[in-house]
Amino acid sequence: MAKAPIDWSPSNWPQLLYRFFTSFRLATVIFVLMTVVTLLGTLGQVDNGLHAAKVKYFHSFFFTEKVFGIPLLLPGGLLLMIFLFINMTLGALVKVRKRWKGAGLLISHFGMLMLLAGGFITWAFSTDGYMALYPGMSTNRVESYREWQLEVMPLSKEGVAEKAWIYPAEYLDTMRSDEQRVIKAESLPFDVVINGYSKNATPIPVSAPMAVGVTGKELEGFKLSPQKPSKEAEQNLPGCFVEFRPRDGGAPIEAILWAGSYRFDPREKPMPFTFTVNDELYGAMLVKKSWTVPFTLRLDEFIFERHPGVMTARNYESRVTRFEDSEPDKPLEIKMNEPMRHAGYTFFQESFGPSGSQPGDEMFSQFAVANNPADQWPLWALVINGIGLGIHFVIMLVNFTVRSRNKKLSPAALS
Amino acid sequence: MMPRFFTSFLPALPALLLFASCGESDVTPGLIERSLSDSEKSFKLAESSTERFRYQTTPAAGSAGSAAGTGENEGGPRLIYDTPAGWVEKPGSTMRDINFTIGENAEAECYVARLPGAGGGLLANVNRWRSQMGAEALTEEQVAALPTKPLFGQQASFVAVDGSYTPGMGTTDTFENYRLLGLILSSDAGAVFVKMTGPKDLLSKNEAAFDQFTQSIDVNLN
Repeated sequence: MAKAPIDWSPSNWPQLLYRFFTSFRLATVIFVLMTVVTLLGTLGQVDNGLHAAKVKYFHSFFFTEKVFGIPLLLPGGLLLMIFLFINMTLGALVKVRKRWKGAGLLISHFGMLMLLAGGFITWAFSTDGYMALYPGMSTNRVESYREWQLEVMPLSKEGVAEKAWIYPAEYLDTMRSDEQRVIKAESLPFDVVINGYSKNATPIPVSAPMAVGVTGKELEGFKLSPQKPSKEAEQNLPGCFVEFRPRDGGAPIEAILWAGSYRFDPREKPMPFTFTVNDELYGAMLVKKSWTVPFTLRLDEFIFERHPGVMTARNYESRVTRFEDSEPDKPLEIKMNEPMRHAGYTFFQESFGPSGSQPGDEMFSQFAVANNPADQWPLWALVINGIGLGIHFVIMLVNFTVRSRNKKLSPAALS
Repeated sequence: MMPRFFTSFLPALPALLLFASCGESDVTPGLIERSLSDSEKSFKLAESSTERFRYQTTPAAGSAGSAAGTGENEGGPRLIYDTPAGWVEKPGSTMRDINFTIGENAEAECYVARLPGAGGGLLANVNRWRSQMGAEALTEEQVAALPTKPLFGQQASFVAVDGSYTPGMGTTDTFENYRLLGLILSSDAGAVFVKMTGPKDLLSKNEAAFDQFTQSIDVNLN
């Protein structure tokens, strides 16, 4: 029998869309593509590093990949998981016939949806950064590992600033090296022009042999040499050219900004490019994106033990005090594998510094600070999934047992 | 007739394009004002870009004529090394941590330079040196296969080229029958260059001294 032709009229589009998204074939194609993306992402990690591979293959709607020299446009993990979520919601929860026999699978699918939703929330809302403190230091500020923003601040003669104007990391990171952006701030007497942004760069003195091959502008005896981004994204030090254009028509001021002027050690003071407009001193620099947590942490003591006779760390842990308006001061210990969880944040004992420190040197402690609203969702999703599969197993077992018994008792079996 | 999957897929294209465009934005906001917390308020007013970019602000001070030298600098750890016999130490410069001349008339030179970051990368620097000697550029695979020698406890790529030496750097002079011996240690954490150039005969006599010198360089953390 010939199939009925598909009705393409706009009034039927919702029905077509529903059919598409509830299709079992769509689920099959998504799973095949997810296998391909996972394989490419795993291999891509070798060349691109963990973070870059995550962004390219799993946090994207589409990506291009050369297969046998031919560039292919493929759907990214984010798009596939959104489609899978819609497919599973409509197909396995809405469209499916509701009956007690399928209760276990229904619950199990709900667990899988929760896992996907948790992944989306983690992608969209989680933050990760670090906090580094020497004993006696306290802060409520967490810095990003990888994201840099441009800051302009009015400075006193002593190098103190009360406020800053920022060009956020989310926008700076989207700049191409051949792009120029003019950024205005009404409360500053100049516009800021950014160009030549490079995610990883090194300023090289023009007197250096390696400056010969570096194209681009020379400013104050330096050229900015773009570098191949590191596989470890946190090691990248971006750089760019900036121009400050006074609105009163004064001569523009040009400079190279480089992330290496920021601090590598919690006690170091950042070194901005300084300039004067209308007799006011200003500073400008690339600064790590930072945010605050709703409490302050003070490092009271950092305990660091080495293996005998070698420099390798055997154990390190931090004794801290947590200060919060609504609660009494609380002394705590943060150890490896024993993080501090509070107010939605998790503080892990991550590392220490400065690098190359010798026995007896004062050292700082570094905490990884994670905030993920869906932190526990994978656990609960798997529990729900397990319960669903368990119920399904029991229902199937009971059905099988009853069927087998009925079969034995049937007249045909008795005859 | 198109397969059913594709006929079902077509109506979803507008939705797909909508999703795909979500990540792109041409909107550039102005600068956003924010207050600085106590731990962020204090800045160092660097005197120059040299300081701001963490290059040493004073020339390395070697111990000329001594058997063991120390290249000192304010911003970084000091270097210690053995000075080979017959090598004359010269003051360092912004770009040279250690600087030697070799030969009765200082016909050859040897220096150590350090740079933050990869310093342009291994491939570019090897080929820059080779081009100074009039030699052909190497491929990435050939550079990766270069022999290595120890430097700062790691394996540095060893470059040895004979030819006509054109130092560049504003001069067009060419020196015939020259040799270049060099070590490059390049990583994202920093790059170290040891380069010796001079007449081929003189450098042949100093190859062992070059190895002795490069193996003796160390960081004095005390």
